[in-house]
Amino acid sequence: MSRRRRLASAFWDAVTLVAVLLLLFPVLWVIVASFKPDSEILAGGFLPERPTLDHYRAILARSDFLIALRNSLIVGLASAVVSTLVALPAAYSLARFRYRGREGFGLLILSTQMLPHVAILVPLVVVMRSLELSNTLTGLAITHLTLGLPIAVWMLRGYIAEVPAELEEAAMIDGCSRLGAMVRVVLPLVAPAIVAVATFAFVLSWGEYLLALALITSTDVKTLPLALQALFDPYSFSWGEVMAGGVIIAMPAIVLFQIVRRYMIGGLVAGGVKG
Amino acid sequence: MPQSTAVAAAGPGLGDPIRARRHRRRRLPYYLVAPAVAVALAVAVLPLVYGLWLSFQDWYLLRSPTPRWGGLGNYGDLIRDTAFWAAFLRTWVWTLGTVAVEFALGLPLALLLNRDTRVCRTLSALILTPWVTPFIVVAYGWRFLLDSEVGSLHAVFEFFGIVGDRSILSEPGLNLAMVTFISGWKGTPFMVIALLAALKNIPDELYEAARIDGANAWQRLRYITLPLIRNTAVAIGLVLGILAFYSFDLAWIMTRGGPGDTTTIVGIMIFQAFFTELRPAYAATLSTAMLLVLLVVSWLTLRVRVEEGRA
Repeated sequence: MSRRRRLASAFWDAVTLVAVLLLLFPVLWVIVASFKPDSEILAGGFLPERPTLDHYRAILARSDFLIALRNSLIVGLASAVVSTLVALPAAYSLARFRYRGREGFGLLILSTQMLPHVAILVPLVVVMRSLELSNTLTGLAITHLTLGLPIAVWMLRGYIAEVPAELEEAAMIDGCSRLGAMVRVVLPLVAPAIVAVATFAFVLSWGEYLLALALITSTDVKTLPLALQALFDPYSFSWGEVMAGGVIIAMPAIVLFQIVRRYMIGGLVAGGVKG
Repeated sequence: MPQSTAVAAAGPGLGDPIRARRHRRRRLPYYLVAPAVAVALAVAVLPLVYGLWLSFQDWYLLRSPTPRWGGLGNYGDLIRDTAFWAAFLRTWVWTLGTVAVEFALGLPLALLLNRDTRVCRTLSALILTPWVTPFIVVAYGWRFLLDSEVGSLHAVFEFFGIVGDRSILSEPGLNLAMVTFISGWKGTPFMVIALLAALKNIPDELYEAARIDGANAWQRLRYITLPLIRNTAVAIGLVLGILAFYSFDLAWIMTRGGPGDTTTIVGIMIFQAFFTELRPAYAATLSTAMLLVLLVVSWLTLRVRVEEGRA
C-alpha cells in the first residue's frame, strides 16, 4: 500500500512538473533563444548547439540600452523608496489608532490599486505635460507611486497590527515618545516586510510599460521596456538580441520577486495586483 | 502616570499643556496617514475627476491648444461611433476569454499543486514566473514563438493547417483569439495561487468522510472541492476580469490593435484617440464610459452574490 502510494505520488509529481513546464515554456524559450547564434535561431531546433553570449555583448554595447538601464534603476529606486516612506506611517496610523475617517482613508488608498491605468491615462498625461513633468524621470517616478504604494500600505498595516501593542506601551513607560516607540520597537520587528514591499514596488516600476510609453519620448529618459521596443527596427533587428534584452529586463523582476515572495503572497491575492 | 494627573487636577485651561498634548496626540494619526492620502488623491482621484471634466470638453489638439466646453457632444459621438461599438464587443470577447482561459488553465494546475510534496512546493513558487515577467518581455517572447519565419509555434500551427505562410497574428479573427489566450496565460499564475489558497483551507476531514461514504475522486471534486472554492473563484474571476477589461500592454505590443482594427480593444482605442488622433477629450470620454460599465458590472455581480448569500 505504502509503495503504491509513493508511486502514485511520484506519478502526480511528474504530471505536475510537465504541466508547469508547459506553462513556463514561453519564458524558458526566451532564455534559450538569447543564447542561440542567429543561424540556429533561423534554423529552428530546441537547445542551442553552440551557446553564445554574443547577443548579450551586442546589447550591452548599445549606449541607448545602457542609458535605459540607468533610468530604470533611478525611477525604480526613487519610486520604491518614496512609496515605502509614505506607506509606513500611513500603515502605522491605520493599524494602531482608532479615529474618524480611518476606514475611509484605508479604502481610498487601497482602491487606487484597482484603478486601471488606462482609465486615468489621459488626464494624468495632460496634467504632467502642463506641469512640464512629461519626458522627465521625476514625472514618471511620481506616476509609478500608484504601483507600489497601495499594496505597501495594505501589507504593512497587517504586519504592524500583529506586533503586540504592549511592546510599544512598555517602551513608552520607559520614556519613549509614541513616535520613538514606533521607530525603536515596531520598525525593527517589521523590517523584513518593509524590505519586501520596497522590493516589490521596485519590481513593478522596473517593468512598467504604459505610463512610460505615454510620458516619455526622448531617448535619454527612456526606461528599459521602451528601449527594448526601440530594438525592433522594422528593417533589421536580431531576435537573439531582443531576447537577450528581454532576459536582462525579466531576470531582476523574477529573482527579486522570488526573494520576497513569502511576505507578499497573501496580500497580493487580497489586493488583486495588476500584473 | 501620576505626575500628569496632578497637573491636570491643577486646573483645565486653554493654555493647559496636557490638553495641548492630547490635542496633538489626537492629530497624530491624521498626520501619519496624510502623505499617503495625498498621493492617492493626486495620482488617482484628481485624474478621475479631471478626466470626467475633460469628457465634457471639445478638444481637438490640431484645432485648439486648450479645451472648450462641449457639453454632451463627445457622448453623442461615442454612441454613433461604430468603431467604438466594434471595439467594445471585442473587449467583452477579450475579457470573458481571458478569464475563461485563466480558469481552464488555473484550476487543473491548482488541483495538481495542492499536494504537500517538495516538488509541488517548489513548482508553486516557480509558477509565478509568467506573472512577474514584464509584459514587454512576454509579448516579445510570444511574437518570437509566433513569427512566420523563426517561430516554432508558428511551425506547429502551419503543420496542422491552422495558418498558412502568415503569422497567426496577421490573421483576422484568429489573432484576437490568440492574443486573448496569451492574456489568459499571463494571468493564470495569479489564478493558481488564489485557488491554491482556497484549496488549502478545505479541511481534510471532509474528504475523509466522503471517502468513507464511498465517494469517488470525481464526486469529491464535484461535491466538496468546487462548492467550497466557489466564492474565491467568483471574487478572483471578477478581479481578473476587471484587469482584462482595461488591458492595453499585451495587445498593443503584440499587434498594435491590427492588422486594421482586428485586435483593437477599448484600451487601445483610448490610447490611439489621444496619441494618434490627438483628441484627448474623446479619449477621456471613452475612459469614463468604460469606468461606468465597470461600476455597473461590479455592482451587479456583488448584488447577485449578496442575494445568493441570503438565499
